[in-house]
Amino acid sequence: MRHPRALFLLCLLFLAAGTLAAQQPATHNEVLIKNGTILTITHGTIQNGSIYIKDGKIVAVGQGVEAPPTAQVIDATGKFVMPGIIDSHSHVALDDDVNEATSPIVPQMMMEDAFQYTDKAIYHSLAGGVTTSLLLHGSANMIGGQAVVIKHKYGLGRDQMLFPGAPRSIKFASGENPKRVYGSRQQMPSTRMGNFAVQRQALQEAREYMRDWDAYEAKAKAGDKDAKPPKRDLKLEALADILRGKFLVQIHCYRADEFLTEMSMAREFGYKIRAFHHALEMYKVADKVAAEGIGIATFADWWGYKHEAFDAIPWNAVLSMRKGVRVAIKSDSNDFARRLNQEAAKAIRYGGATEDEALRMITLNPAWIVGVDDRVGSLDVGKDADISIWNHHPLSSYALVDQVLIDGDVYFDRSLPGYGMTHYKEGQ
Amino acid sequence: MKANREIRKLGNRAIASLLTALLLMTATAFAQKSKPAAKPAAAQAEQARAIVLRGGKLLTITHGAIENGVLVMENGKITAVGAADSVQVPKNARIIDVTGMTVYPGLIDSETQLGLTEISLDTTTNDLEETSDAIMPHMHVYDAFHAESELIPVTRMNGVTNAIVAPATRDTLPGQDSFVQLDGKSSQEMLLVRDIAMPLNFTGAQRRNESFEKAKFPQTRMGMAAQLRQVFIDAQDYAQKFPDYDKKAADWEKDKKGDKPSPPKRDLKLEALLPYLEGKRPVVLAAEEPSDLQVALGLAREFRLKVILNHVSHSQILLDQIAATQLPVIVGPIYETPKDNERYDSVYKLPAELAKRGVKIAFASYDSHNVRNLPYQAGYAVAFGLSHEEAMKALTMNPAEIWGVADQLGSLDPGKTANVVVADGDPLELKTDVKRVFIAGREVPLESRQTRLRDQYGK
Repeated sequence: MRHPRALFLLCLLFLAAGTLAAQQPATHNEVLIKNGTILTITHGTIQNGSIYIKDGKIVAVGQGVEAPPTAQVIDATGKFVMPGIIDSHSHVALDDDVNEATSPIVPQMMMEDAFQYTDKAIYHSLAGGVTTSLLLHGSANMIGGQAVVIKHKYGLGRDQMLFPGAPRSIKFASGENPKRVYGSRQQMPSTRMGNFAVQRQALQEAREYMRDWDAYEAKAKAGDKDAKPPKRDLKLEALADILRGKFLVQIHCYRADEFLTEMSMAREFGYKIRAFHHALEMYKVADKVAAEGIGIATFADWWGYKHEAFDAIPWNAVLSMRKGVRVAIKSDSNDFARRLNQEAAKAIRYGGATEDEALRMITLNPAWIVGVDDRVGSLDVGKDADISIWNHHPLSSYALVDQVLIDGDVYFDRSLPGYGMTHYKEGQ
Repeated sequence: MKANREIRKLGNRAIASLLTALLLMTATAFAQKSKPAAKPAAAQAEQARAIVLRGGKLLTITHGAIENGVLVMENGKITAVGAADSVQVPKNARIIDVTGMTVYPGLIDSETQLGLTEISLDTTTNDLEETSDAIMPHMHVYDAFHAESELIPVTRMNGVTNAIVAPATRDTLPGQDSFVQLDGKSSQEMLLVRDIAMPLNFTGAQRRNESFEKAKFPQTRMGMAAQLRQVFIDAQDYAQKFPDYDKKAADWEKDKKGDKPSPPKRDLKLEALLPYLEGKRPVVLAAEEPSDLQVALGLAREFRLKVILNHVSHSQILLDQIAATQLPVIVGPIYETPKDNERYDSVYKLPAELAKRGVKIAFASYDSHNVRNLPYQAGYAVAFGLSHEEAMKALTMNPAEIWGVADQLGSLDPGKTANVVVADGDPLELKTDVKRVFIAGREVPLESRQTRLRDQYGK
């Protein structure tokens, strides 16, 4: 190579240019979405309503909302405006790296390390109105890895797609999957008692790890110069963080008896369960689970794919909701993630949810499960301007997403040629 | 057994080619199956009493919508359809007021695995396909169809009354489809047409290339094509053996010189292919990518197969050529995810794009547990440009025509089997609740394992 340095510089420049392009999308500081039917989720439907957005946040929602003439105007006449959809159980953009299935306890796994941000599936669900997803570890493990929360800003760089400040979630699983994965290798666990024994053992070790660290810190604090810190162990540290309440615990769990076992184990070790995922038998014990303030992220009507899914009924979501459980409809699939509005509509068909209740299952309720309900999930002043605009009521079979905004910026526009994206360039 | 004897007789008498014999047998079998099976007296009485649906909006499919219509069912058939004042209501009829409801023909799903699986992950409940070899045309799904499957009552709840049952798709020739009616006391009653068609799968997913160590032929698309071509030629050669033998046997009868010729050994696998190579029954040609579609169509032309196209999910660039073939297309599933180089709606739009070009399309769920979602797929195709009328046709009359049962099913017309659905709204809307389903004139209770669980725990 004759001019290695020149080439290096050229590369650097090229990289810098790429980064620059990715970092500076054509943002509009001020946007007015005008004259649409606004489905706020928290305070009903506003006819002929408008939303004023400034610096990525919702500043005003209602009839007669005005914006300075400099604001970009989106005419929503005849359209329906709702918050961006939140998918509280996704494995999108994780390629084949969903399951580290080499041990039933792998809480040190970070899904962020597997996040394949160029995966077009992020765009496919964006075009279905999804703006935020919780990317979970798979269900081969009693205690799986740490989730990552993304916003579907397709076309931007990896770090710009991470949901800033989202709380940490960790995935647990129970039932058939762990016992099948390890049982088929003649390893523990191969039964449900094995499952819970493995989980209990791990949490017990975490207690002891915490005790060792507490003892060391007490000695160090007392001025003991000989005090030696215990060896740091990423796995035990993550487990300890569960016991310290630093994670939202998201548990893959199907059967009624297992919800109760998981709840008693959480009581025994002093952590809280945020949500049961799948939860297809929740309708059998919904009152007991509701009493503990645990949510569910469930399918609308998927069933029968394994034994623990054979008692699934499409009325599960509404029956559980009526007993006080906070219910989210989630995708767990790159396909369903593209049409979660339709899955939510099934709550009307099966059990007679109101439109508001059905919409809440794909907006505010999943936002709560993910722990970002103070930021997204409804059209309220102060929230992130993550908004989807539809040509029909979003709970209709005939509804299509016209535009999607994230942090006040348009990322998808159906009327555009090509992919319909604003920040993505072919070959990127 | 009877078939064996008949074929031997035919061979000895040297009166017809084996092909003709087979076709005759098929025709006889069809006629037998088409006869209504004997029903218990109570059910017969119930069916004999006319049922009248009065006051609903009738989506006839063949002659538009009739507001405030009347539909009469007697002895399992539709006997009258029309405006309220134009239809004479039989005496002693059971009259059901369906004011405000929508009434439409039972929906037909053009590919399911109903009755072949109960719990997907539990292999003991699965009879989806025989994967010991890629060429298994002699597998008949009717030998496995499980009439008592819990999935069937679940399917009915959204108005699906008829379905193609097809084997799963890991074999290029996985067996033969049957056409079923989703009510009946036994599989005998429910299997309306056995061996109605034969799938030929050429999507690339059939390659047996699990590993190089344990590799099984065919590992490649050229392997798949070569294997298909060979088996079709083998079947043609096989068919020729019988007239050859007949001739030899007849010659021998004349002078009885030398050894008496022995009849050819029968081969059920090759025999199964003959009605399809004769173009008497359709082959359901599954391909997704343009290159696969062209190879498969080439094979079909080479062997003069009668073709129903299946999927064509990523063959957007061939839509005009597909239309030019004038072949019908089972389209979808439209939920198939697009390729990286495709726009997000490229598959969603396919039904509309095909219909626009005059292609006769039919929808299929390609599912087992959630066949009930078939109408929503059609609804979503409407969102992406298909007309509502075409979408309804693609769930009723089009599949009835494609599968050769349009004289019995697919529309609200007198003389047809009374497969009728009553719903509280647009059949394609997610919110719509199906209130009543009639199959062959019998009101089938909308109960299932799922409603029982709901009622047990949901109080």
